[in-house]
Formats: sequence, C-alpha cells, structure tokens
Amino acid sequence: MPESALFADAPFASGLQDFESLVREHRPRIFRFLLASLRDTETAENLTQDCFVRAFKARDQFRGESKLGTCSFGTWLMHIAANLVRDHEASSRLKFWRRRLRSDVDPNELSDWIPDQQKSPEALALAKEQMEAIWRAAASLSERQRTVFLLRFVEDMDLLEIAAVTGMKEGTVKTHLFRAVQSVRLGLEERK
Amino acid sequence: MNPHLAHHLTRKQISKYLIGDGSPQESQHVLDCATCGGELARLESSFSQFRATVRHWSDRRSGTDGVVPWTARVEVATLKGLYGGHETVAGIGSVLIHVAVVVLLLAAGSLPPVQKAMKEFVPLFAPDLKLQPKPKLEQSKGGGGSPQRTAQTKGELPRVAPKSFVPPIRPQDDPKLALSPTIVAPDMPNINSPNYGSPLAGLGIPSAGNGIGTGIGSGRGPGVGPGNGGGSGGGVYKIGGGVSAPVPVFKPEPEYSEEARKAKWQGAVLLELVVDENGVPQNIKVVRSLGLGLDQKAIEAVQKWRFKPGQKDGKAVPVSANIEVNFRLL
Repeated sequence: MPESALFADAPFASGLQDFESLVREHRPRIFRFLLASLRDTETAENLTQDCFVRAFKARDQFRGESKLGTCSFGTWLMHIAANLVRDHEASSRLKFWRRRLRSDVDPNELSDWIPDQQKSPEALALAKEQMEAIWRAAASLSERQRTVFLLRFVEDMDLLEIAAVTGMKEGTVKTHLFRAVQSVRLGLEERK
Repeated sequence: MNPHLAHHLTRKQISKYLIGDGSPQESQHVLDCATCGGELARLESSFSQFRATVRHWSDRRSGTDGVVPWTARVEVATLKGLYGGHETVAGIGSVLIHVAVVVLLLAAGSLPPVQKAMKEFVPLFAPDLKLQPKPKLEQSKGGGGSPQRTAQTKGELPRVAPKSFVPPIRPQDDPKLALSPTIVAPDMPNINSPNYGSPLAGLGIPSAGNGIGTGIGSGRGPGVGPGNGGGSGGGVYKIGGGVSAPVPVFKPEPEYSEEARKAKWQGAVLLELVVDENGVPQNIKVVRSLGLGLDQKAIEAVQKWRFKPGQKDGKAVPVSANIEVNFRLL
C-alpha cells in the first residue's frame, strides 16, 4: 500500500510529516506529565512513545471534541496519557514484587532540579525541603488524586480541562483535587 | 471588610481557593486579609516552585538522543505479532480447543463401559484370623552357651535369675562387687555338685559347654542347653503350661493380591512367628503356603500386628505362635 493511501483517511491529511510535527509540539508536555506521575524516566519515555503510537492508531477517532465540549489535540493526547498511567498503575499493582526490585526514585532527585540556582544557600535548602515534602506527598496520593494534582499544578490546566482529560465530572475533579491539596499541605506542614 | 468573613479562612476554604473553587467573598477576603493572603501566597509559591522544578527536571530528562523515533515505533508496533495478526482467531481457537478437551474428558467419563467399570467392585471379607495354639507339656525352651571347647558337663545349676550378670564360668578375680553366678532358666531339677554345669549332662572335666554367651551348653545366650536366649533346652517359649498365649490387640486386615483376586483364589495361609516381649511379631515364616502373592500379603499384614505378649509367671516372654490368615472371596 502506498504511503499516501495509508494516510488518506486521517484527519492529519498531510500524513506522517504533519503528525511528526504534532509529536514535536506535544511530546515535552506528555513526557513531563508521565515522568511526574510515574517518577521513572525509562517508563515515562516508553509510555510517551506508547501514547503517540496509540494516538496515531486511533487518529481517525479524534473528532476535535469530547463529551464535555471541544477538545484540543493536546487534551486528547493528555487523555490517552492519563489512561496509560492508570493502566500502568493497575498492572504494576499486580507485579508489585517487580517494583520492589526496582529502586524507587529518590525524592532528592527532584530537589536537585530546582531551576534558580542563584538563590542563597538558605533559600535553596528551604526550597529543597519543600520540594521533597511535596514530592513525597504527591507520590503517596492515589493515582486519580495525583493525576488531577499534577494536571492542575504542573500543567496549569483548569478544572474543565482536567475533567475532559480524565473523563471525570467537574465535581469529581474538584473533590479529588481538594483531597490532594489537603494531603500535600499536610505533607508540607509535617516538614515543619 | 465583609462582615460574613470577619474571621480568617478555614483550612478547607484555603484549599478550595487554591484549586480555583473559591467563592467571591473568599476571594475578597484573601485580598483584604494579610494573614490569609500571606498563607495563600506561601502555598502558591511552593506549588509554583514545584511546577518549575518538575518542568526543569523533565526538560533535562527528555533529551531525544537514544530514543527511537516515534515513526519507527509505529512500525514496530504495527508489525504482525506472534499469531500474524490473527490474535482474535488464535484466542478463540485456543478456548475452543480447551473446551473440546474438557468436553471429551467428561463425555468419556460418562460412557457406559467406563461407568460400569467405576461401579464394579470386589467385595472383600475380613479374613478369619485365629491363633492356633499348640499346647505342649514342656514349659519353655531356651538355650545357653559358653565358649569352651568341650561340651557341658554334669554339675550344679547356678542360681536362676531374670538376667545373668556373672556367667557360671570364668568368674572375675577379686570383683569389686561380688555376685554369685546366675543363669536365665526355668525351674528344673538340680543336683548338688561342687562345679557349675548342667544337671542333665554327662560327667567329665568341668566345662560350661561350647556355645556362645554366658550360660551353660552349646547354645547361645544366658540359659542352659542348645537353644537361644534364656531358659533351658532350645527355642522360644511355647504356649501352654503356665505360658499364656499372646493376644492380638491391633490387627490390620491383609489385602488381596491382584492375581489372586483375578483368579478368585481363596484359602488360608498358615504362618509361624514369635511374638517377642514387646508384642512385636518376629521371625514370620510360612508354614502352609497359598500362593499367588497371598503369602506375601499375609506376612505384610501380620508384620503390622501388635500383641499383648504371652506371659509366664506374670512376666512378658517371647512366645512362638501359629496364625492362620484366611482369604475368602464372595
């Protein structure tokens, strides 16, 4: 089958090249979300690829709309990524012993990535402590709470967008987000 | 200031405001109240710091080097799998095959010949096992021995005791604890003689016989005579004359052998055995054989038997007995 015929029915009419540019545009965001959700670079890399493979395979199902209204390609991708995270968590629960073998990511790792290194040592130490506390609290959240928390506070999405990504109702999103914030605040306060 | 919000925001209200779900009054209060505003600003700065850190981390980690281009992944992913793209057919086929195998097994199990064979059984009757005592006048038998070259000579029997500590010959010189020599024997006629020996033996150079052990005679053990163990004469105790018969207390039934069952072979096996002081059968021998593996089955069963041992003068003694094991089919 010639390549042009393969992509003739896709919404990305210009085919592979166009999809490639979409990937370039959205990849960092998807990877960031997966990395923050899974705390494992390798798995995040793999799932990012899986996410785009799924998107490519299901490209004719993308209508530019969702249950809750119009939906951008980015939201649609994030929806796939959130599903992947959920599937991954479900399957890794079954093989928990394997997870035991793999060393969990050290929370110190994140605090090494605090961007503004011009801060005074005290401020840096404080920021590091805060990052560790948030990171640990986020890691101990349930999968849903963590997803909405990361979408809200890392991806800067609003409640409606989060609802579209996760497929939950807005009220449900609020509940999960509220509980997540309460837990993280508790983590921050315990640090003190 | 809004009178409804004269007090500060609660913990929950702050969290709600933080997720973008605050009421207009609460927003106003945050603007007005330095305490709540400061608390929120601290939290927001923490979260924005978190956001910046995660973004920084992810940007550094997402270097595309070493990552397979996604187009290659699509091709790998769309390659035909183990079943050449027929996974559904293969799955259904597998289920069908398994179901077929199970159905076949069940069907085979419900076939008339199989059912018949399962119901068929061979009734086994408890074998008629009875002890066959052989009354004998002589009380018991036993034997003694002593490693000397000549046969035992006439003499006085040493004192009879349950256990022989000092043999009648070779008394130790200057023992620390003096004991008179003893043998293990029943009451028997004795004579007065300066030498130890057998009252029934002939005269000669004093000797305690040419057996093995600490008794008198050509046997083995601490008794008198040519037998084994204690007592006089030869052999173990026999039932009768003050020696009671051993009573079986645990008697598992023998199994039929396959050949005998097929041949519908019936009969009795007569076994001879010795029940020792502990009630355990020893030295089981077949006196009358039945064949077709039934002898072996009878021995196997009787080996598992346990007895209340035969007694003489209130003491358990080894007693020989005959047991008939009946095999009968109906």
